[in-house]
Amino acid sequence: MVFLVILIASFLLQFFLPWWVIVIISFATCGLIGKTGKVSLWHPFFAIIVLWAAMALFKSLPNDNILAARVANLFGLHFWWWTLLLSSLLGGFVAAISGYCGYHFRKAVLLKKPAA
Amino acid sequence: MRNKLKAFICVILPILLAYSLNTKFGDLPPLLKFLNPFTGFWQNAEKLNIRKTDKLVLKGTQQKVDVMFDDRMIPHIFAQNDHDVYFAQGYITAMHRLWQMDFQTRYAAGRLSEVVGKKAIELDRYQRRMGMVYGAEKSLEGMMADPKSSAMLNAYTEGINAYIHSLSKAQYPLEYKLLDFSPEDWTPLKCALLLKQMSAVLAMGSTEFYMTNILKKFGPEITSDLFPDYPFREDPIIPAGTKWDFKPLPVPQPPALFTNMTTANIRTKELEDGIGSNNWAVSGAKTISGYPILANDPHLNLTLPSIWYQIQLHAPGLNAYGVSLPGAPGITIGFNEKIAWGVTNVAADVLDYYQIEFKDNSHHQYKYNNKWKNTSSRLETIKIRGSRNEIDTVIYTHHGPVVYFQKPKKLAMADNVPTGNALRWIAHERSNELMTFYYLNRGKNYADYRKALTYYTAPAQNFVFASADNDIAITANGKFPLKWKDQGKFILDGTDPKNDWQGWIPAAQNPTVKNPERNFVSSANQSSTDQTYPYYINWEFSSYERGKRINDRLKVMTKATTDSIRIMQSDSYSIFAQNLLPALLAKVDPALLNATQKEALNMMGKWDKFYAAKAIGASIFELWSKRLFYDIWDDEFTIASIPMRYPSRDRTVELILKDPDSKWFDNVHTPAKENLNYLVNESFKYTCDSLERKFGPIGSTWAWANVKKTNVPHLANIPGFGSKTLMTGGGKSTIDALSESNGPSWRMVVELGKTPKGHGVYPGGQSGNPGSPFYDNMINTWADGKLYDLYLMSSPDDKKDKIISHLTISK
Repeated sequence: MVFLVILIASFLLQFFLPWWVIVIISFATCGLIGKTGKVSLWHPFFAIIVLWAAMALFKSLPNDNILAARVANLFGLHFWWWTLLLSSLLGGFVAAISGYCGYHFRKAVLLKKPAA
Repeated sequence: MRNKLKAFICVILPILLAYSLNTKFGDLPPLLKFLNPFTGFWQNAEKLNIRKTDKLVLKGTQQKVDVMFDDRMIPHIFAQNDHDVYFAQGYITAMHRLWQMDFQTRYAAGRLSEVVGKKAIELDRYQRRMGMVYGAEKSLEGMMADPKSSAMLNAYTEGINAYIHSLSKAQYPLEYKLLDFSPEDWTPLKCALLLKQMSAVLAMGSTEFYMTNILKKFGPEITSDLFPDYPFREDPIIPAGTKWDFKPLPVPQPPALFTNMTTANIRTKELEDGIGSNNWAVSGAKTISGYPILANDPHLNLTLPSIWYQIQLHAPGLNAYGVSLPGAPGITIGFNEKIAWGVTNVAADVLDYYQIEFKDNSHHQYKYNNKWKNTSSRLETIKIRGSRNEIDTVIYTHHGPVVYFQKPKKLAMADNVPTGNALRWIAHERSNELMTFYYLNRGKNYADYRKALTYYTAPAQNFVFASADNDIAITANGKFPLKWKDQGKFILDGTDPKNDWQGWIPAAQNPTVKNPERNFVSSANQSSTDQTYPYYINWEFSSYERGKRINDRLKVMTKATTDSIRIMQSDSYSIFAQNLLPALLAKVDPALLNATQKEALNMMGKWDKFYAAKAIGASIFELWSKRLFYDIWDDEFTIASIPMRYPSRDRTVELILKDPDSKWFDNVHTPAKENLNYLVNESFKYTCDSLERKFGPIGSTWAWANVKKTNVPHLANIPGFGSKTLMTGGGKSTIDALSESNGPSWRMVVELGKTPKGHGVYPGGQSGNPGSPFYDNMINTWADGKLYDLYLMSSPDDKKDKIISHLTISK
């Protein structure tokens, strides 16, 4: 669920808003419906990896990866798909941290006293 | 409490992460802003499949415009009126080259610090203090004063802005994302700045500071012996013996020699010789078709995106094809149905320094004609990214700006600027070069060509011309100050009115020749004329070797075709080697050589003097002659406290051939008495040893292409965005004047006739986007010395060219 919500929301909102909207989406989604810390870490992580990799490939494949290869070269990487890995892993990492923080934010703020 | 802290950390951590990945640190781009696939670089990956038809609505146009893109993405613009044709040129050029246009004009205006921060501050100051913006403003006045050029400029600017305003952040050219800044609105001033930058590249050379130091150190006799006013060997552009059919103006009288100069502590810089361009035209008498053929290859620093942008402009009264400078309307080098034209640089002496005597350190007044005259000052505000604005005050005299009172330590380009001197430079004049190209683009015959040239000021160019009427011509053209002989060879005394520029050489009296008996005209930056020309243009031009080779080949050429001319453009035979090598080889003593050196000597004897890609002889000769010249001159002409330059290549060759016992061959730093023989042997061994150290045992790794390492770097030197190393021949003193990354920036051959046939190529591609298949697609053809056919289409439906995309722009 968390995975899908983040994937779809990030896909739609990034057409209008800067990339860092994934931070807010991950934080909010996990803050609201993240069931465990584990889910709040891995679901945003994979959601953004999948979304970003797919979007990058959608742009890059019809280009025969010419640009991805040049940018790889710029970063001192040897193959074009290393740029793909770098982009999506970094995006996934940020989303994961944000989701995890969102979950723990809720825990911290809405911590109820254990029932007596 | 603990929970509050935890909640706080949970909020702050994602924010910090997002911030740090959205911010540029030093040279590192804002990582995720750049890498994310929705707005980052991935968006610049262009599809290899091009859409066949496209429609655009642009309010700025007046009527329908058709733009046909051919299979090299070259736009052929068909408009119904002048406004629309330049509007569309602006729009389409920006579509392919926006970042380049922006970056080059920011560079020209001294505004790089705005983008890259403090590290560009000295460069920005230099540009401002040389009066680049001041000059561009004056030029703009000239362009705006003429209704034709102002309409052209405004339409072009509107077109560029229509494109800029259509962009979302995701569509910004890649380099904006990498360097993290945004496009700003284009202005006509930016066009003027771009043209000033061409002047800076081609007409900012100046050696008077070095020459004055030499004069002070060695005295007038040695100075005029080593730095003569006319070369030992020459083959001038206007054939020697051409009669001047005009009555010259009286030349002003020189004042007494001025040597009371101050010098500053800076390094000596070796002069780059052999940077320039070639053009020529052969008359129908020498061609198979019976019509003239014209060729041009301007040599500039090669970059990606390419310096030039190919385009065809079609409107009522106009149908021209050629290359334009991204950022300036019209076509600079090209052809139409009736004529073809091309340019090479005239190294005219149009930049002078005047030593200023200020009344006091406030610099409010300076001495002129025995009176105190007031200076004015211009405040230059330099915005610096990540820092406060800097306001730089530049003092102006009636000569021009005082470039430096104190020189920057780490800016090589400022080395030849004397401190406390005012700069008088042609590029500060009011001018309107656009009109020259406006009329050339529409020209039909020789008379139109001559008329177009009268509008031109700077940078002075040798305009070569050929027409379907079977006329050929060449003119060393620009606005040349009327000077006494050698005025500006040395620094001038700014207090004496006799040193001022005293007027101008009338445009009609600029050196020119039409249909000479030899049936060809040519130029390669050498002396404009023989010594009978009544005016002073400069005391020194580029060495004559390229010009000589061109003329030697054209003299014997009959039944010329495009192919024979094309092959000539990549001719790499060295006249310099022809003149010098036999004398050097005779002096090498084989008994003193080791095995490698002996093998090298053997190869030199067999070398055919072509700078071919695989030639080992070229590698050895290039380094050998360079080392030899260093050995001859460095001991006398490199003194830390007195910046000087070496005597010319021409004078050095003369000395070696004619005066082998000259005292200059002795190294003054050693007690022993060296002679030419010793230097020739030393430099030969030195060359072989250094090649061996760098490239291993003598063999194919010593090949010229491998030593030269030609490549085309990105304009901002971004790694990965330049070309690979190209295995090409050619060298600075050959027709194919291709060094490491300076050389033929455009090669064009046009056969005139009932319908003209154009051929051309430049090292790059139409698109400035590294993510486009058209970014560097022409490089290999260029490196192979081949040309593409250029199609002057007569209508949008013309089937001559292979059209891959049709863009319709409507109001």
